[in-house]
Amino acid sequence: MAAEMEPLLIARGLAKAFGSGTARVEIFRNVDLDLRAGDFTAIVGPSGCGKSTLLHLLAGLDQADGGEVFLQGQSWTALSAEKRALLRGEAIGFVFQLHHLLPELTAEENVALPLLLAGSGERAAREKAREVLARVGLAARAAALPRTLSGGERQRVAIGRAVVRRPRILLCDEPTGSLDAAHATEVFELLQEVARERAGAALVVTHDPAWANRCATIKTLTAEGLAVVS
Amino acid sequence: MALAAFLGLTLGVAALVISIALLAGFQRHVRGKLVSETPHLLVQPAGRPDFRASEGVEPRLRALPGVSSVSPIVRGRVWVTVRGQAMPSEAVGRAGVDGLMLDLSQARTLAAFPGDTLTLISSRSRLSPLGPVPIVTSEKLTDLAPPSSGRRSAELTMPLAEARRLFAMGEDAANGYEVSLADPFAASAAADEVRRALGAGVVATTWEEANRAVVLALKLERLVLFATVFLIVIVAGLNLAATSAVLAATRSQDAAVLSVLGASPRTVSAVFRAAGAGVGVAGTLAGLALGIALAVILDRTGAVPLPAQLYALNHVPFRVEPLDVAAVALLSMLWSLVTASLPARAAARLPVAEVLRGG
Repeated sequence: MAAEMEPLLIARGLAKAFGSGTARVEIFRNVDLDLRAGDFTAIVGPSGCGKSTLLHLLAGLDQADGGEVFLQGQSWTALSAEKRALLRGEAIGFVFQLHHLLPELTAEENVALPLLLAGSGERAAREKAREVLARVGLAARAAALPRTLSGGERQRVAIGRAVVRRPRILLCDEPTGSLDAAHATEVFELLQEVARERAGAALVVTHDPAWANRCATIKTLTAEGLAVVS
Repeated sequence: MALAAFLGLTLGVAALVISIALLAGFQRHVRGKLVSETPHLLVQPAGRPDFRASEGVEPRLRALPGVSSVSPIVRGRVWVTVRGQAMPSEAVGRAGVDGLMLDLSQARTLAAFPGDTLTLISSRSRLSPLGPVPIVTSEKLTDLAPPSSGRRSAELTMPLAEARRLFAMGEDAANGYEVSLADPFAASAAADEVRRALGAGVVATTWEEANRAVVLALKLERLVLFATVFLIVIVAGLNLAATSAVLAATRSQDAAVLSVLGASPRTVSAVFRAAGAGVGVAGTLAGLALGIALAVILDRTGAVPLPAQLYALNHVPFRVEPLDVAAVALLSMLWSLVTASLPARAAARLPVAEVLRGG
């Protein structure tokens, strides 16, 4: 039981700055965060406050200027690039503001991609991808290329791709930012459902308080760190 | 971009295949001439001037595997004179030869024609009441040999018995044996066999050793041509590197997404390398097909004519050697892989977060 309550993701004293010398701009510092199984946390803040940068640091995609991130007890900085990639693929699902689907691949192939990168056989990967597409309501669009899908459908495929390996953490960077209100609601609700079903915890970055209010916890990112709003 | 790289590699590989096929065609012709004009194997005594029939060298040579025929020869230096003109020459006595045969170049120097009687003055002498006098013989010129590409120097051919008399040798003596082989290209192995069978008392020289300078020049020519024309493939490969670099730059977002999805730098590099190398392999295969097809068509149709009097060939020969094709394919594909690897490695080292931010 104690192990269950251990945070999946821990950030301690994270700091990030861009530029050097007189052009150096400090984005944030002293960011502490614990993400436990079952958490559905929103991070809000104005555009340019470093929300996406924070997500990149948490996912081990960028190097912090200070502090450390532990994913399932392992520090990103202690791992080689190869091991970081393996751990990221296994433990983290990532949803971008723009879907970032590969344009030459069908919806099914895009969803199957993380499984193929992890070494699954093509047949099994495609089968699992079809299951996930059915879950996100796109069973009939499995063979469609991204350019033939609507914005909402693309984002649903992207969500399917993020959860197909059943990661314990879902990191979402403005997942509804490029959608109209109707599609945004639909996608956000789907995100909440699949995060609950397939991932242990979710962290959603948004600049829109309306979406943040739908999350269990809201934290705001400032230059001095994260502050709990509710 | 990818199409330009593909076409560049295709044309480069095709040019290489055609050039090598052209050279192989000509070289095959030259080697054929060398084989026909030079004894496949020349067996000579070591440390003494001649063999005696009683030594049984000839029947032992005949008994060796792959030997088609064995002929004794007698060799020496003579002065050839006719109508006041004189020149030195190497003379070779061969069995089955009737009369004298001169090289065309010698006949031109002496202004000699078939039917003329030539006087041969031997380098050997005999004792006479007046002291040693050169051995001299007169023989009718019966034929002229065409210009040679094989022999090292022009020579005069004469009947074996007459050569033995001219060089004061016994009736069963020979300076060596010319051996014809069923497979002239296995002459080195046959020479080893002769050395094993006859021991240290003989020197066996293959047709390749006798024409060492020509054979070496042919090999060198092939190597130099290969290296020179391969420069085209090198340039085409660099074009492929540029294409791969553009691909890596334009698809950097996709590379970053692959990293986010759990692809290791090695995997990202492999994906981009495969894309570049794919173009390289396709270009190489298309170039091989084009080059081989053109070489075969040009050879079969005789599309490039030659003046037969000058070259003893009526068209430019092309010969596609499987080993040459394999070497071209292997080197071209390896080079494609190398050139595609550099941008692929760069793609794997992209700063993912920066790319995702759109930087």
